[in-house]
Amino acid sequence: MANALAWFSQSGVVQGIILGAVLAFLTAILMMNAVGNAITTTVNGWSAIRKCGQPGNGVLVRAACAKALPVVNVFEEAAYWTTTVDSSGKALSGAHGYVMHFPAGKLPPHEAFWSLIPTDTVGYMVDNPTRRYSVGDRTPLAQNADGSVDIHLQHQAPSGREQNWLPIPSGKFKLMFRVYLPGAEILDGTYQLPPVVRGQ
Amino acid sequence: MNRLILKYGRPLSAVILVVFAWVIYRRVANGDGIIPLVIAAVVVWALGAPAFIYLWPRLTVNGFKRAIIKEGGFGEGPIPVNTLYATPGTSSPSTSRGSLMATGADDLLYVGGWLDLGNGPQVLHVPDMAGRYFSVQFTDPSKSTNFAYVGTRTTGTHAGAYVLSGPGWKGTVPIGMAQISSPTRSALVIGRVFVESDSDLPAAYALAKQIQLTPLKE
Repeated sequence: MANALAWFSQSGVVQGIILGAVLAFLTAILMMNAVGNAITTTVNGWSAIRKCGQPGNGVLVRAACAKALPVVNVFEEAAYWTTTVDSSGKALSGAHGYVMHFPAGKLPPHEAFWSLIPTDTVGYMVDNPTRRYSVGDRTPLAQNADGSVDIHLQHQAPSGREQNWLPIPSGKFKLMFRVYLPGAEILDGTYQLPPVVRGQ
Repeated sequence: MNRLILKYGRPLSAVILVVFAWVIYRRVANGDGIIPLVIAAVVVWALGAPAFIYLWPRLTVNGFKRAIIKEGGFGEGPIPVNTLYATPGTSSPSTSRGSLMATGADDLLYVGGWLDLGNGPQVLHVPDMAGRYFSVQFTDPSKSTNFAYVGTRTTGTHAGAYVLSGPGWKGTVPIGMAQISSPTRSALVIGRVFVESDSDLPAAYALAKQIQLTPLKE
């Protein structure tokens, strides 16, 4: 018995078990991230995962979803998109101004509501003097002459366009676009959010 | 904690791997065998990686369970099992970082609680929402998938009562109630009630508070 214990502690089995457990954890993380990337669709810089929350999901998708979007709504209840980059792939930063241009009639189709919220890179809203933290279907957005709508994302108010202004943090930030009860064009994938284009 | 792991995950992993490399190097340099070490590592790795992946959703939902029934809930302390708590306000920059709704939307009131059907079914009551958007999501804690919804999309906005029964329950559902069979004995409940504007907040909160659980009287 004592011999077996001595062998056990000398042989390296204990170190092997610890090493194996750590490698298993890292492998699991890498696999969940890889599956998460595989089921994420990114169009115009906006990323969404449509599969999450569905009861029929397999082991890998369940794990990847739990890691990427814990206990998230199913897509037909609420469509969520996030982006941290502009249309050219550069990180979003309050040092610049951005425009989201929705062509006429191309605001997101929905049966409930939609909103666009800037947050810090973790996901927390950031205070601003105007206390406007989102724009959405209830915001009285001004239309351009051709019926299109521009949302101006910048840290300082755009003069003359305050109505369509969404204040953003001064530093790096993330955007969260929510559409509750998304319309048919979102569910079938024909509707796409416009890119976030950096101004001059 | 999670945020620290996210932030320092890579350097931390690198340090741990370097320590392991050094341990193995020492063994080889001392002339000790490394075969038992390698065999143990491979076996644990091969069994452990799928186990972590399989358990990850359960660990995630357990984090929410702990936050709801043991920790701060939605900012006002723990929420007892089979009780639903409605947040009086929407998410904002001043929402506590530890709160479950810190990363939520500013046009929703959240309702949350932990369902345990071990002592028999519970009844979910929802008031007449009069066309207002709302949803109540039921999440399976073993899979982190949503097995049922009550709300605008699935049941409409009229008042209703829904019997939530656990696996194997054989009782009778009272007339006028619908049944939702939970695949597991417990479930995470997340409700959302739409807030049109600041002036609509009192009306939305009054309705959100009426989304409640009671034990089924058999």
